[in-house]
Amino acid sequence: MALSFSQTSFTRPNHVLGSTGSVFSTPRSLRFCGLRREAFGFSPSNQLALRSDRIRIPSRKSFQVFASASSNGNGAPPKSFDYDLIIIGAGVGGHGAALHAVEKGLKTAIIEGDVVGGTCVNRGCVPSKALLAVSGRMRELQNEHHMKSFGLQVSAAGYDRQGVADHANNLATKIRNNLTNSMKALGVDILTGFGSVLGPQKVKYGKDNIITAKDIIIATGSVPFVPKGIEVDGKTVITSDHALKLESVPDWIAIVGSGYIGLEFSDVYTALGSEVTFIEALDQLMPGFDPEISKLAQRVLINPRKIDYHTGVFASKITPAKDGKPVLIELIDAKTKEPKDTLEVDAALIATGRAPFTNGLGLENVNVVTQRGFIPVDERMRVIDGNGTLVPNLYCIGDANGKLMLAHAASAQGISVVEQVSGRDHVLNHLSIPAACFTHPEISMVGLTEPQAKEKGEKEGFKVSVVKTSFKANTKALAENEGEGIAKMIYRPDNGEILGVHIFGLHAADLIHEASNAIALGTRIQDIKLAVHAHPTLSEVLDELFKAAKVESHATTRTVSEKVVV
Amino acid sequence: MSRLLQTPFLPSVTLPTKTRSSVTGFRVKPRIIPIQAKIREIFMPALSSTMTEGKIVSWVKSEGDKLNKGESVVVVESDKADMDVETFYDGYLAAIMVEEGGVAPVGSAIALLAETEDEIADAKAKASGGGGDSQAPTSSPPTAAIEAPVSVEKKIAAPPVSVKAVAASAVHPASEGGKRIVASPYAKKLAKELKVELAGLVGSGPMGRIVAKDVEAVAAGGGVQAAVAVKEVVAAPGVELGSVVPFTTMQGAVSRNMVESLTVPTFRVGYTITTDALDALYKKIKSKGVTMTALLAKATALALAKHPVVNSSCRDGNSFVYNSSINVAVAVAIDGGLITPVLQNADKVDIYSLSRKWKELVDKARAKQLQPQEYNTGTFTLSNLGMFGVDRFDAILPPGTGAIMAVGASQPSVVATKDGRIGMKNQMQVNVTADHRVIYGSDLAQFLQTLASIIEDPKDLTF
Repeated sequence: MALSFSQTSFTRPNHVLGSTGSVFSTPRSLRFCGLRREAFGFSPSNQLALRSDRIRIPSRKSFQVFASASSNGNGAPPKSFDYDLIIIGAGVGGHGAALHAVEKGLKTAIIEGDVVGGTCVNRGCVPSKALLAVSGRMRELQNEHHMKSFGLQVSAAGYDRQGVADHANNLATKIRNNLTNSMKALGVDILTGFGSVLGPQKVKYGKDNIITAKDIIIATGSVPFVPKGIEVDGKTVITSDHALKLESVPDWIAIVGSGYIGLEFSDVYTALGSEVTFIEALDQLMPGFDPEISKLAQRVLINPRKIDYHTGVFASKITPAKDGKPVLIELIDAKTKEPKDTLEVDAALIATGRAPFTNGLGLENVNVVTQRGFIPVDERMRVIDGNGTLVPNLYCIGDANGKLMLAHAASAQGISVVEQVSGRDHVLNHLSIPAACFTHPEISMVGLTEPQAKEKGEKEGFKVSVVKTSFKANTKALAENEGEGIAKMIYRPDNGEILGVHIFGLHAADLIHEASNAIALGTRIQDIKLAVHAHPTLSEVLDELFKAAKVESHATTRTVSEKVVV
Repeated sequence: MSRLLQTPFLPSVTLPTKTRSSVTGFRVKPRIIPIQAKIREIFMPALSSTMTEGKIVSWVKSEGDKLNKGESVVVVESDKADMDVETFYDGYLAAIMVEEGGVAPVGSAIALLAETEDEIADAKAKASGGGGDSQAPTSSPPTAAIEAPVSVEKKIAAPPVSVKAVAASAVHPASEGGKRIVASPYAKKLAKELKVELAGLVGSGPMGRIVAKDVEAVAAGGGVQAAVAVKEVVAAPGVELGSVVPFTTMQGAVSRNMVESLTVPTFRVGYTITTDALDALYKKIKSKGVTMTALLAKATALALAKHPVVNSSCRDGNSFVYNSSINVAVAVAIDGGLITPVLQNADKVDIYSLSRKWKELVDKARAKQLQPQEYNTGTFTLSNLGMFGVDRFDAILPPGTGAIMAVGASQPSVVATKDGRIGMKNQMQVNVTADHRVIYGSDLAQFLQTLASIIEDPKDLTF
């Protein structure tokens, strides 16, 4: 059943193949046949697998079971494999891929060595949003001036640390259950145990369970990156994993790294009464954001709060508090490496980014060499081995490939892979993936920053224009007394293409999608500017941008999409 | 947006180098200077057609920074939006004339731009020494702009403790001699704002760290004036044990009055009043905004009307005055002191108006907006600590009045009634302190008896 379904989709024309497919320049169905042959060639290992009584034997009986499962959603197993698709890692990326695979009729299994949901749900985006929801309210209630401007009176706002921590923990549990249930409902097999690649199309999980699949997706994610010299004790020197449990609210916490993670935690900690010191290796805070946005964000999120910072320095050594001594942080100049300063603080949060979790994955079995831990992939998430050639049937999505370390990017990559393995070529446009930082107010962005766009424009010979608007000009924002913020759009005036949009202001994270969808679908400004926005809403901030943009009159309106390959 | 901002730099003023004089344009002192260099003024730009003044949100550059054409120098908040103001000349930001948070009218100078590094000093001199006189043929002089900032409190706080500015927040201030300064981020921020030097400060935080309240304490210690100002800038600091705190104006006034009261021979008479009827009445009319304080004041006023001597006052020791009106003052504790708003003609005003008046007075007292006649015209004072559960206490007689009544809490008590039974009644104790030069024991006794009868049968309170 699954096979015949796949066959029909293979007949679809394949546009991109001719230009980019260096390895698979042959028609796709042939490639499929070739792989089948390859799979048969590995029959000895298949038989080896059959000998093990612990694994699912694709006998007639179990086939019946699977067939009945397929009526629930999950596909029937292919003839010579246990599964069509095995996903190693049940984080948000793996989950997104699994759901889409079932929709495509693939027999799917997902292997999880820890807890379903991965970093995002258990130790990342989800619990941090719970903490930020609290911090946002605390900040608002403590802002007497803000309340007064509404005519509201609030007497001393306080919080119960355990209550806040419980909220974060409960949310994670709830989302984890939702995730698990959604996969169970569709009949995805959730296999528990640490998964690793044994060879082509073969995976081991747990102690010695071996299963085979037509295609394998590695989605093992990442762990907090701790630079050397820093001793994490989980109490006074912590990573985001510990911080999200909110076991304490220190008087003074140093946050190493001022990216998304560091910024969000500074928002939480300062709202709960801590004072914060940022330690940033680069010369300015919030690197990676559009410079204009980071400048404004610094004025709103850093300067007025109880935060100071050291830029251009590395924390070369951090010692946890013990024997009545505070946490000691030794700072060295990022360039000269000379000792610069020593800080004594109550706690230190290491938010220096995340390292891929790819150890023990058995990558050597398929001759894959990681680069700084990341698994190299091409633009279709196909894993590249040590010789620079593609490993057939092996894909890697999410943080483990390091392309764009965001939960929704992993999910999008997973869906893209499923599209490919179910016969429809798909290349994900990473420039259309939005990103958000959930501070108060929020920061969001999609596409290129202004300097990046200008550089690209210079190289490729097109003009780049920028248009900006302020939240102070938005009725809804003013009604909320949240006029602080700007939105800017970077675009090509010659054809109306949106190159990037950056928003800093109330609900920026929710607002960005109009722009990211426009980029993903190739919608041009001259078309989208005619679309109507409800009044008064925050979405009019973007409407303002579209309408203020000056697209040259000769640019044609078009609705056909033109994909941008990254 | 940058197109809008082409205005900040108006034609510059030519200033001969090495000229100490602030006067330019009009009388250029002929000196032996080979190079004519330029110091330009940076003006507050008009960012919108309706903008008359702008607030400096932040200086992107600091004094001494090199500026390249097109770079952002300052962020200005207009009536509509915050905008970056760019420079259209290369040079050095020599002197900032309007600090962050300050407001300057459109067209006034907010900073000086020197063309070369050598001219920074000249520009600085120009900025500081300039004073009010002559700032070239432009609009208002820069000092006017500096005087403009909204944050006046800061300026008051600054002088007494003014010391050199603390290093920028990006730098941990490490002092010489190997002794490092450990101060929390907020303490550093406050120190910069209040112009307190952290060196030599003893920290009270963990491991001797300097925390915000240490900085506040130093800033407050600079003088009474500063203390008051600081209070308005930052949250009230906690009680600093072991420190010497000078009296505020109010505390001073209270102290003087209390000492003065020692010249008056006073005595005290107490009375227990059953309040069941009053409580019932209060319950009934509470929803109409009537407060217990107003009810007590009213009852007292009605009793005073029948015993004018208790409402009299003796000021010189030779004579006394039967006061023409009954003004009941009620003691109120407010932040950092005590004040006695006065319910004037409490015997004549109806209970509802009296309650409204009381609420108004309390609000004004909290906001420190009471007019003198609203707190110093009392002829009789009421002090109630019943809400704290105090059952009895005695009060000190405020000078210039004849008597003060201390009211305790109304509490359920077991009492023997006249018909020989034991019953439960709500009772409160009152205790009147009076000036025995004019008010005698029997006067107070009769007054209290009248008061008790009014409270125990309170129908007269509502007319």
